[in-house]
Amino acid sequence: MTSSGTPAVQISGLGKTYPGAGGPALSGVSLTVGRGEIVVLLGLSGSGKSTLLRHINGLEIPSEGGVVSLGEEVSRLTGRALRSLRGRIGFIFQQFELVGPLTVLENVLTGALSTLRGPRIGIWSYPRPLRLKALAHLDRVGLLERAYQRADTLSGGQQQRVAIARALMQDPEILLADEPVASLDPESSSQVMSLIREIAAERDLTVVCSLHQVDLALEWGDRVVGLRAGEVVLDTRTDSLSREQVMEVYGRVATTTGEIRAIEQELADVREELLSEELRKGAALERDPDGEPS
Amino acid sequence: MTALAERVAAVPRPRPRLSTVVSSAVIIAIAVLGVWSFIGLDYSLKSFETTFGNLSRFIGLATPMQWPGFNVIGTRQPDGTTTFVTEWVGFEPIWAMLGLVAITLSLVIAGTALAAVLSIPVAYGAARNTTPHPLVLAVCRGIGVVARAVPDVAFVVFLAFLWFNSGTLPAIVAVGLHSVGMISKMMADAIEQIDEGPRLAIRSAGGSKAQEFWSGVVPQALPAWIAVALHRADINLRASVILGVVGVPGLGYALDDALHAGPAGMRRVVPIVLIIIALCVLFEVVSSTVRSRLLGVQPTGRGIGDGLVRAIGRRSGRSASTVEVAGTGDPRSRIEQALHRPWDRSRIVTTLWIGIGIAVVVGAFLYAAPDLGRLFYGWRFDQVSNPDLDRAVWPPNFGSRDWGDVLAAVTTTVQVAFAATLMGAIISAVVGPLSARNVAPNGVVRNLFRGVALVLRAIPDLVVAIIFIIATGFGPQAGALALGIGGVGLLAKLIGDSMEEVPRGPERALAAAGGSRPQVFFSSTVPMSVPALVSHLMYLLEQNVRSATLLGIVGAGGIGFLLLNALQGRHFDQVLAFLLVIIALVVVVETASILIRRVLK
Repeated sequence: MTSSGTPAVQISGLGKTYPGAGGPALSGVSLTVGRGEIVVLLGLSGSGKSTLLRHINGLEIPSEGGVVSLGEEVSRLTGRALRSLRGRIGFIFQQFELVGPLTVLENVLTGALSTLRGPRIGIWSYPRPLRLKALAHLDRVGLLERAYQRADTLSGGQQQRVAIARALMQDPEILLADEPVASLDPESSSQVMSLIREIAAERDLTVVCSLHQVDLALEWGDRVVGLRAGEVVLDTRTDSLSREQVMEVYGRVATTTGEIRAIEQELADVREELLSEELRKGAALERDPDGEPS
Repeated sequence: MTALAERVAAVPRPRPRLSTVVSSAVIIAIAVLGVWSFIGLDYSLKSFETTFGNLSRFIGLATPMQWPGFNVIGTRQPDGTTTFVTEWVGFEPIWAMLGLVAITLSLVIAGTALAAVLSIPVAYGAARNTTPHPLVLAVCRGIGVVARAVPDVAFVVFLAFLWFNSGTLPAIVAVGLHSVGMISKMMADAIEQIDEGPRLAIRSAGGSKAQEFWSGVVPQALPAWIAVALHRADINLRASVILGVVGVPGLGYALDDALHAGPAGMRRVVPIVLIIIALCVLFEVVSSTVRSRLLGVQPTGRGIGDGLVRAIGRRSGRSASTVEVAGTGDPRSRIEQALHRPWDRSRIVTTLWIGIGIAVVVGAFLYAAPDLGRLFYGWRFDQVSNPDLDRAVWPPNFGSRDWGDVLAAVTTTVQVAFAATLMGAIISAVVGPLSARNVAPNGVVRNLFRGVALVLRAIPDLVVAIIFIIATGFGPQAGALALGIGGVGLLAKLIGDSMEEVPRGPERALAAAGGSRPQVFFSSTVPMSVPALVSHLMYLLEQNVRSATLLGIVGAGGIGFLLLNALQGRHFDQVLAFLLVIIALVVVVETASILIRRVLK
């Protein structure tokens, strides 16, 4: 839409240090993402992938350096201008982050909030054209018949597809995805990952997606940017990579075999955490919400 | 051997954990203070004799009962006795009684609905994750604490004076303002417990703060909001009896009226009380049903209604309904078709319940017909603001009483609370464990004691306390006795539940090692449930302090009695002074309770 000459995202010398943290979460990150590029941020957890993504749509404020997204200096924007920029950038979360008690359709509709004034309650508070559009997006991700179900009754893979439909509602120019499949089983994972690629191709989207699986990143992305301890350690295109180069990717992102094992362990931990989370949620439902009458 | 003895002597003894120390301290403190209170309240055999004397005198006066629709005429016989004739007088008094029920319910529902609405902004400011500024947080929490501590009776009298001759408006606003305290607090808790993710997602999509709140926060906190409001309506109904003392129309007023209408009135007392109790139980059943329907979850509350609903729910399993959209046709027509949400069973049921809910609230407002115009004109503000006039609010003072009188009154209130807590704890220590599945020797015993707790819980304790006070003569002893017995319903249930929640493993290990049931109980169940028990005990104490203040108003003495006197004389400067004392008392007890419970967690 805007001049296609400017890159989608231009990050220069970005550093971020959280107050009270031992070291910086990001330091000296410079990165340019062209329009229509599909970039994977690859790294272990704690390497700064999420922090980097959150700077692109202004959820975080840089400690040093700057981010220019869609031609706008993100940290300079406030209020309405920031919200309208965010409206042009879709964000997909690891935990889907749907509003559980609302219907699937209303969740998708919340993607259009940046174009509306004032709060909205209920499906009927959104104009009919938006409702039609939301249903079309739901149809695109294959969940039209679930439109009026509560979002929290859906499986993880389905919820992530609803989240994609919500992001599409924004008519985004950039799609950011933070570990979109880390909480999903392998089958839903591949479904969601190919859906993101298909949609990116259909709409000529720029995609920045963080992942921690090297093989998936190499197979899925056009370009891989490796992060370690908040620094860029790798930036390469994935086509035309020789076997040695692939081994080097492994080497850069996870230096030793021990650290490769650490990745595997990480994955297992995440799964376990999810499982226990589920169990805890189940248990919490059973328990009594203690009333405190006065 | 000596080597072993040396090693045994050298085993390090770690210092006891803070929670252990606190638990023991709380138990000892409640025991000591409870005994001190019993002594202070002058419980003696003689006072019991008087109590029983009063009770039998009351029963003599109150029988034969005069139910609505009947008239009891006593004729004095030549030999000095009185014979009674009960005669049917027609339906008129029955309709009048139903009118009283309707106005009582209307005031409670309208007041609670008002509070539920007012609570939203207060909760927004009082929740740590939504508040716009720390200052707003402090102010909103302060509003909550004050609203909780000031009894609705005080609001009613003050507002009725301010909006002189404005019908039911003061009662509705008073119930509303007082209830904001609890509803906003629990709503803020619910907001603080929501999942922050969806909010972040809406922010990422460019949503404004207001949109974040209404689309990301409110849907998550809505079930809690409805549940708390219904729960509060329950409590307000029970407490509405006290409002009758200061002239709010309804069953409470009818009761107060009957009590002051001589022997003929006394015969109406017991029927009115029974109607009130039946209404409370019925209302709880309804509110519990509505809660479970609206929220689509099994109720987990402790009342009789919740139990009933659970039982019904077990019988009829509900399944989630899915929306069906025809899979054929071109995408456009499918989407057009999906635009119209099908009227499936779940949608009809949900819509129906929402409709009924709105109808009930609107109906309550229409029936109570508050003179809303008075919100905007005719405030007698000049009378309460001018320090030279008799009705001035400022400066607060104790009137003819000095600090000594006030402290004595506070002591009485506190003693009533402690005596009631100790009494409740002792009885619950037997009833509670025996109603736990893993402690009771068999199902019969468990169900028996569970039933005892359920019945005591179902009967509104405040109402019981009022009856006790009426029946046995005014005084703190009767108040403490009634609160103590009423507290058993709550505490025994909590104790039973906590003991059932204890992990089974250690109990099984002890039983496998040959321990008897009592041995298992004292060596495994009790030690593992102590923190929960102590925190329930603190909760009961907190409740009893509030109730003891209210009971003062109906005649149990203490600070509540001083407040009532000031209210009746419309001495608002004294009212303010006593309210400040009550607020201080409640804040101290609440803070102690929060601190202790935090340590025990």
